[in-house]
Amino acid sequence: MVTSSASAASGMIKGSVLVLGGGVAGVQAALDLTELGLKVYLVEKSAAIGGVMARLDKTFPTNDCSLCILAPKLVEAGRNPNIDIITNADLLKVAGSPGNFTATIRKRPRYIDEEVCTGCGQCTLYCLKQISDDYNEKLSTTHAAHIDYSQAVPTSYHIDPKACLRLNFKTCGLCAVACRAGAIRFDQQEEVVELPVGAVVLAPGFGRVKNEVLERYGWGKFADVLTAFEHERLMCASGPTNGAIVRPSDEKHPKKIAFLQCIGSRDRTCGNDFCSSVCCMYAIKQATLAREHDPEAEITLFYMDVRTHGKGFDAARERAIAENNFRIIYARPPRVEDVFDGRLLLTYATEDGGHHYEYFDMVVLSQGLESPDDADLIAQVTGIDLNDYQFAATALHAPLATSKPGIYVIGAFQGPKDIPDSVTQASGAAALCSSLLTAARGTEIVHARYPAERDVTAEEPRIGVFVCHCGINIAGVVDVRQVRDYARTLPHVVYATDNLYSCSQDTQKHLTDIIKEHRLNRVVVSACTPRTHEPLFQATLREAGLNRSLFEMANIRDQCSWVHMHEPEQATAKARDLVRMAVAKAAHLVPLAEQELPVTPSALVVGGGLAGLTAALSVAEQGFSCTLVEKDRELGGRSLLLTADRFGNRPAEMITGLVQKVREHRLITIFTEATLASTSGYVGNFTSAIDTGRGSEVINHGIIILATGGRPYAPSQYLYGQSDRVLTQLELEKRLASSRPLAKGTRQVVMIQCVGSRGEDLAYCSRVCCGQAVKNALRLKARQPDLAITIFYRDMRTYGFQEDLYRQAREQGVLFIRYTPDRPPVASRDATKNSRVHVNAYDPLLGEEVELAVDMVVLSVGIVPEDPSLLARMLKVPVTAENFFLEAHVKLRPVDLPVDGVYVCGLAHAPKTMDETIAQAQAAAGRACQPLARGSIVPEPIVSRVDPELCIGCGACQAFCPYKAIDIYKEGKLRKARTLTASCKGCGVCAARCPTMAIDMGRFTLAGIRSQIHAFAGKGE
Amino acid sequence: MTSEHYHPKILGFLCNWCCYTAADSAGVGRYQYPPNLRVIRIMCTGRLDPSFPLEALASGADGVFVGGCHPGECHYQDGNYHALVSAALVHEMLARVGVSRERFLIAWASAAEGPNFVKIITAFTKQTEQLGPLGLAENIPAQSLRVKLTQAAEAARERKIRTGLINASREMFKSGDFSRKNITELVQAKCEKALDEMTAQAGSL
Repeated sequence: MVTSSASAASGMIKGSVLVLGGGVAGVQAALDLTELGLKVYLVEKSAAIGGVMARLDKTFPTNDCSLCILAPKLVEAGRNPNIDIITNADLLKVAGSPGNFTATIRKRPRYIDEEVCTGCGQCTLYCLKQISDDYNEKLSTTHAAHIDYSQAVPTSYHIDPKACLRLNFKTCGLCAVACRAGAIRFDQQEEVVELPVGAVVLAPGFGRVKNEVLERYGWGKFADVLTAFEHERLMCASGPTNGAIVRPSDEKHPKKIAFLQCIGSRDRTCGNDFCSSVCCMYAIKQATLAREHDPEAEITLFYMDVRTHGKGFDAARERAIAENNFRIIYARPPRVEDVFDGRLLLTYATEDGGHHYEYFDMVVLSQGLESPDDADLIAQVTGIDLNDYQFAATALHAPLATSKPGIYVIGAFQGPKDIPDSVTQASGAAALCSSLLTAARGTEIVHARYPAERDVTAEEPRIGVFVCHCGINIAGVVDVRQVRDYARTLPHVVYATDNLYSCSQDTQKHLTDIIKEHRLNRVVVSACTPRTHEPLFQATLREAGLNRSLFEMANIRDQCSWVHMHEPEQATAKARDLVRMAVAKAAHLVPLAEQELPVTPSALVVGGGLAGLTAALSVAEQGFSCTLVEKDRELGGRSLLLTADRFGNRPAEMITGLVQKVREHRLITIFTEATLASTSGYVGNFTSAIDTGRGSEVINHGIIILATGGRPYAPSQYLYGQSDRVLTQLELEKRLASSRPLAKGTRQVVMIQCVGSRGEDLAYCSRVCCGQAVKNALRLKARQPDLAITIFYRDMRTYGFQEDLYRQAREQGVLFIRYTPDRPPVASRDATKNSRVHVNAYDPLLGEEVELAVDMVVLSVGIVPEDPSLLARMLKVPVTAENFFLEAHVKLRPVDLPVDGVYVCGLAHAPKTMDETIAQAQAAAGRACQPLARGSIVPEPIVSRVDPELCIGCGACQAFCPYKAIDIYKEGKLRKARTLTASCKGCGVCAARCPTMAIDMGRFTLAGIRSQIHAFAGKGE
Repeated sequence: MTSEHYHPKILGFLCNWCCYTAADSAGVGRYQYPPNLRVIRIMCTGRLDPSFPLEALASGADGVFVGGCHPGECHYQDGNYHALVSAALVHEMLARVGVSRERFLIAWASAAEGPNFVKIITAFTKQTEQLGPLGLAENIPAQSLRVKLTQAAEAARERKIRTGLINASREMFKSGDFSRKNITELVQAKCEKALDEMTAQAGSL
């Protein structure tokens, strides 16, 4: 028996985490946690993971196919041996202390054995009891025995006990007869299990706006008033109408559609005084897709404010409006009325006081996100506090921590938010769990094992081709079956088929079976892009006993169906060509040996502001050493300039505390007044030189986190710099911290929003300025209640719970006047020194020009990122046109940069609030510690190989290799080159420059590429 | 021949990190462009063997496009400069065999530049369409051009010319001048003898 104190201590700390909720946030947290060496129990109340994202057709702002990007994650979670997915389950109790909880779970019976079910669907076919289909928002029916959706994970059917004839009336039981696998278990009983876990992550998602609220707008009474969730299902290829947007009343295509915003949001009458943050953007998405379905459709969106404050959202919205001729009306129609001819009547008042009525064929209600229905119950069993709106209460400086230590909250339960913010929080919570459970890292996990690889070197190529419909993303343009039939005619192809979604878990299983059954030794998937989906299919190949290099993709979606939407024949011809080229290349693929490289277990963080400090501390608390480089003399960054948060706390205190923790942490080395001079290497093995001003420090590190921050836009508008009466919000913050913020006799203050933002100087929305303006207006009002404050704005973007401040400001008499960019306020002054400033502006409510004599003008200036170009060039990472670092995937990899081992957080990524910055910095640390925790990396085996027979030892390859990955050795008297595979990154420069063509590249071989060229031309081999 | 009936065949070699990503993001953004391009993904334009574009034109392409990262932004540091050296050779050989140099284009689009990729491809497709099928703009029978292009591709795989390219690359890095003009001059100078031999051989056919 081992009884060392260390093992006793680690026995106290559990190496596992319970994640409640299997939506995108919960799944991401689960995946990240296992990568950090922790076992996960993923507890989901429904019968499948995927959550709301699995029900979406597309995701904004890119309109990327939702299930296509989610499915690989679901499959990955499903096949991960360290994630125990427990469906149909409820959390009953959490007892214990951080590091050592006992969670009690109730597993409701599925009545179909998950382990035995093959997912064939016979039970549904034979089930006599029809029920409405929740997955399709009850717009279609399914049966008591069913699967929620075809790509569901686990890929197992289940029986609805409320509807089943056998369970309720002891009749029927046909499914048990039909099930060949013998998976039906009518006698399955509820089970209560206790799970010992070290931490709990709550990700239960959001609840739906109550039906009473929807009914005010005619929903439930008029068939053609739909919720946005219903409309989303109508748009989707796997939806009730197979992707046809038709009116439920008469199945006609609606020609005039209205979107009503803020349904159940920003609405005191239903208790939801907050903004749901996502609806403005999802309505733009749905409207765009409705136009894609019917280019004739006329679409009107009724907004209170257009809140498209996310990264790239304004640009996407503007493009959508311009391309689709959307009509944007600032109004909130109070109700929807039915008229006899089947149309719907909207009455609304515009800002100019005009009353209008208008007919529409369909009305879509952009319903908000509420706290989950079981929020109270979750609070009860976990002991966490809720906020006024029944969401989990969190503090601004610890956005992911609930009131109970060791219990974290992510996603919409923390506050309404979109997918990238939810995914970010998931990675952040994983980092927090990893810090808490560092002592037990790796104690409860097992390592994935793949079957031994089949030796295919002596076999003739036997190629299988899988052509994906991708719902209607590909099949809506390309004739997929024609492509499949064509593939069957190509050389070496022994099998070809088509799939609705190639990336779903059932298809992966199917793929494995087919590879074995047909003894395939090369696989071509003709679908989306290898950049996102190659790893998924390669894992499937490995499960089928094939080397992962025997795989090739034909990109017939991103580079075909999506870019030739109006030329189906040409697109189909192109898809055939691309498949032919991929097959030609596949015939030349050979298995490649894998190599495992060690990782330097330390981090480099660039930037010592709030983001960098948070990230560095998180890395260190997870047990890895960290170097922090800051170019200024002091740590803390520009957050120190904020003198109060919206709850009246002083951020400076929090940041000073953070700086102290960072300074005192034994694993953190700090360089101030220092910059990153150079970096070389790759994930796991970077070497950097830090210019400290006194010399150069060279460090080795495994990963890099960029937290270079931003600064305020320097205005020249509105007399800034010419009059002392004009200042920025940050300058006002400083004054507000003083004893006398306002000069004596100050009566009128004007704030002007979007100075620099959403315009020519900065094309984007700076996200934080609206919240800051109302916060500071309230602070001014608190000092001098009779002060007149007027805020000129374009859209008040006080999203989420910031809406409280906006409402309070209005209640306290702050005036809000909307302006349009073609008619901004104008500031002028008399020649006399210190004269008041005159602000003239058009007031749309009055319909006339107003002039204010103003004592103080406060400019809400935007946020400018620090120039990223040097770092971008050094690290080879892309930046957007606006100079923010461009993440690897805007939805699902929000803190990873496209170069492995490089991460981003804070203002260098996009404008964001302090709590969002902290969550993102924790997320970056969570992602960054994954290779460090793993201890090794397995790079793609696409390295170069020198044929010693052909090599003449000229050394050109060695001279040109950017990674010193070629070495010249002596073979007798001859000089020969060879590849140092651990250093080779696979660029291929050596191959292109070799005078005797003695060098070839893994997977991108000379023969392979030449065969692609010949196949392009239509020639056979 | 009117351009409505003629659909040029264009082959593209796109680097994984920039141009291929830009092409994907054009798709995600639903930016539309002409359906003529077929893409071969390579990790870096530095992988581009000078023989590839020649072989593609010889095999039936009407235009060949190579797309990489912006100069100075290569994911592998300087692969796109090597690609410029290869491209200079391709242009030189096209000139010598009498093929319009406009049938081959090397250009850049970063991962963030989907719309820029679309602009480049749309313009190149239009340009190739105006040239017409191989031989039309050149006023030389296509078959004879294809034979010459095949020979050029073979020559580009031979040691003499490739040694010239190595020397051109070395000089380019030494001079630090990565302008297309400088690279073209370097390639012309370093490969002149080998190219003259090739031209002489082709002329004797």
